[in-house]
Amino acid sequence: MSIWIEKQKVEELKKLFSSVEVYEYRDVVWVEVDTQYIKNFLKFLKEDPNYSFKMFVDFTVVDHPLHNPRFQAVYILYSPDFNKRVIVKSWINGETHPTATDIWKGAKWAEREAYDMFGIRFEGHDNLVRMFLWETYPYFPLRKDFPKEGIKEVYLPSLNEGENIPSHDYDPYHTRVPTLEDLEITERKRINKQNQIVLNWGPLHPGTHGTIWFLFDMEGETIKNCDIILGQLHRGIEKLAEDLTYTQIIPYTDRMDYISAICSNVAYVNAVEKILDVEPPEKAKWIRTMMAELQRINSHLLWLGTTALDLGALTMFLYTFREREKLMDIIEGIAGIRLNSSFMRIGGVRYDLPEGAIEVIEHFIKDFPSRIKDYEDLLTKNRIWIKRNKDVGIVTKEDVYQYGLTGVMARSAGVPYDIRYIQPTDAYGEVDFEIPLGTVGDAYDRYLIRMEEMKQSLNIVRQCVDKLKTLENDKHIATENPYVLPTLQETFTSIEAMVKDFNLRIYGEQAPIGEVYLSGENPRGELGFYIVSKGEGKPYRLRIRSGAFYNLQAFPELIRGRTVADAVALLGSIDPVVGETDR
Amino acid sequence: MEILGTVIGVVVKSLIFIVGMFLAAAYLTLIERKFAGHVQQRPGPLHVGFHGLLQPIADALKVLTKEDIVPANVDRVLFYLASLLAFVPAIMILAVIPFGEPFTLFGIEIKPYITDLNVGLILALAFGSISIYGVIFAGWASNSKYPMIGGLRKAAVLIGYEVALGFAMVGPLMMAGSFSLREIVAAQDGFFGAFIWYQPIAFIVILFAILAETGRTPFDVQEAEAELVSGYNTEYSGMKFGLFPLAEWYIGTFVLSAIAVILFFGGWKGPQIFGFLSPFIWFFLKVAMMFMFFLWVHWTLPRYRVDQITEIAWKVMLPLSLLNIFITAIIILIKG
Repeated sequence: MSIWIEKQKVEELKKLFSSVEVYEYRDVVWVEVDTQYIKNFLKFLKEDPNYSFKMFVDFTVVDHPLHNPRFQAVYILYSPDFNKRVIVKSWINGETHPTATDIWKGAKWAEREAYDMFGIRFEGHDNLVRMFLWETYPYFPLRKDFPKEGIKEVYLPSLNEGENIPSHDYDPYHTRVPTLEDLEITERKRINKQNQIVLNWGPLHPGTHGTIWFLFDMEGETIKNCDIILGQLHRGIEKLAEDLTYTQIIPYTDRMDYISAICSNVAYVNAVEKILDVEPPEKAKWIRTMMAELQRINSHLLWLGTTALDLGALTMFLYTFREREKLMDIIEGIAGIRLNSSFMRIGGVRYDLPEGAIEVIEHFIKDFPSRIKDYEDLLTKNRIWIKRNKDVGIVTKEDVYQYGLTGVMARSAGVPYDIRYIQPTDAYGEVDFEIPLGTVGDAYDRYLIRMEEMKQSLNIVRQCVDKLKTLENDKHIATENPYVLPTLQETFTSIEAMVKDFNLRIYGEQAPIGEVYLSGENPRGELGFYIVSKGEGKPYRLRIRSGAFYNLQAFPELIRGRTVADAVALLGSIDPVVGETDR
Repeated sequence: MEILGTVIGVVVKSLIFIVGMFLAAAYLTLIERKFAGHVQQRPGPLHVGFHGLLQPIADALKVLTKEDIVPANVDRVLFYLASLLAFVPAIMILAVIPFGEPFTLFGIEIKPYITDLNVGLILALAFGSISIYGVIFAGWASNSKYPMIGGLRKAAVLIGYEVALGFAMVGPLMMAGSFSLREIVAAQDGFFGAFIWYQPIAFIVILFAILAETGRTPFDVQEAEAELVSGYNTEYSGMKFGLFPLAEWYIGTFVLSAIAVILFFGGWKGPQIFGFLSPFIWFFLKVAMMFMFFLWVHWTLPRYRVDQITEIAWKVMLPLSLLNIFITAIIILIKG
């Protein structure tokens, strides 16, 4: 059964709203609404019991420079009651659009991002400032007329200028970089000092796990007000993707959530396979599921170690890294690379499993439960651990729907939102696993859930290993499909494969016109890829819905009235990776 | 002449104590690093000298030769004073700690302590409290947000545990009937004479207070690195920085362990199986065990929040120590 809403159910809306158009591609259903009705339409979808699209998943903008009006707003919504999704679109009148922040709080950052990247002004948004770039930056980079290499306008001559060396023949003009004054203006725009001190927690701080810049407006040690400046790791992956073939984007997905590269890979290739209609072979599906689950254990181990480290338990960090090292070795043995493995390919996986891989993983499966028991002995019933984590950052079901919280954040509030379950891809439909749910929604619940998830992931890996033993002689990539790159072996032995390889690498996978949104369950939440194809070898627009981005959005609300010490515990339990929040 | 002899004796002994403590502190860092290494399943320092035995010297050379950066807008007087204020009182506690009974070697009577004051314990407490000023001053003088929060946290914690510590020490004192550390040891006779059997509550409170005073893990809020970068010593560098951990983590822990051993484990008393050295061997063995215990706690547990520490200090430890005084007094009254 598809997760997308049935077409006829949306057609019924035509009776209520005059200008509703319904489209479908594969099973993805989207609705186009006239701009003047968009707000009422969204409100209706959210509140009507027959639809109840309560949960905000994503908002983005697509630029069509030749169309009038030029920009199109895209809302992706989810209905927890019916387990259905829908995409709502509407054209934007000029450069202003009504805000959706009064319907979903989660739209706040997404709209700021749209403003930052496309220059769309949202009427009614309470603090419409830049999301990633600094405040005085004059351009809107995701617009199609903004050149990919940036606008070179700052004169920064090379030190070697004058010497006539060809390799030193740099362009002395560079793109803009923020000055200290720019950053100060940015900071002022984000937070108004109303209390004793404003603490700059970050951008480079041991507690922030990456380059996030927190601003705490504090009274004593109590945080009265908080804002976050993101963008220190913003690399414009969405912009870069518009000029790359679908295969070339795979390494970029590694570098978003670098802690769980394989999970991002899997989510991305699944989305591309959906738009290309490629079916990977059975074996590839099981390998993908197994690798993604190993990566999830890996990621949760890193989370456990660093969170414990933040709360002062230094030794936990080294214990978890011991196990993580084993997983890294397994991943390296299979994929060839430890961290950014780029192991997935459209239509399969890069390599077949090497000899002995199954045995190593089986040994790990045997060994790991006793290690988890060690961790739980050290922490689960530890009074200090409980005192530090209980009642910190309580999220409710309403918060989950409002902010579009996903992953462990959603499950800690008791919302069974797990993409592996509601929209199974690869072999997830065939494996047996449980989804741990929280009752309170605090950091301690999230700790328990992640510990349980590691055990469940191990369980999935065990099932995958059993299945893979029976699939030993199968193909690992569907090279017979015209969209799938041939293996190296085939390229060197047949001329057809050579030609196909050349064509796919140079012109890319000529995807049909259409659009697709598909997400995967990253350890950090729902990682979604919204791909708009206009029939070229590269995506017209690739929107990445990052779980950590939306989860982090709830942080300022949750930390208000608590201390800096709690900020560490809360941030640890949200577990953002900046590479993914900033993209 | 007699006075001159005493003065020379005290000066020589003080020098031996101070130099000895410096060397001991250096090697305590090695013990800590080795201990932490083995707790965390790694070997610890391994390459400088045999199994890292020369590591402390290499560390000392490194710290001493580092550039000593003083930020432009600090309160210079307090900034310089703070690291000394943390270090000197910690080492001054040694003046009142006896390491054994007087003994005769080559016809000279040697007293293995600098002074035997009749208020030794109170003096030790007082020096311990002064050394906390170092942390608070460091936080204030740095003129920076993280150190200031760290210093204020330490001040908040200090008020809580100092009160509990003072009251907890009253129990052993009542049993010994003296403030002199030598007489407290003398009052503990035999294996079952050690005060740990009679004063377990006081011992627990004092363990808590020592962990808090030396800034070890469940209570190391003043330098919680994930929250405050490095807390009160963020702006320090070079040896001025080096003195803080040396004073708090090593000398402080060592000296307070020694006091705990004297109060509860009969000091240097033990079977005379090592000849005339046996008091020293027993004493240092016991102190080393105490020290290791603190390391063990440090490298295992997560950290409390400030408000939780003050809560424990005021709501649990203070009533416990008062209860201990009450029970001890009643038992002494009944037994006479």
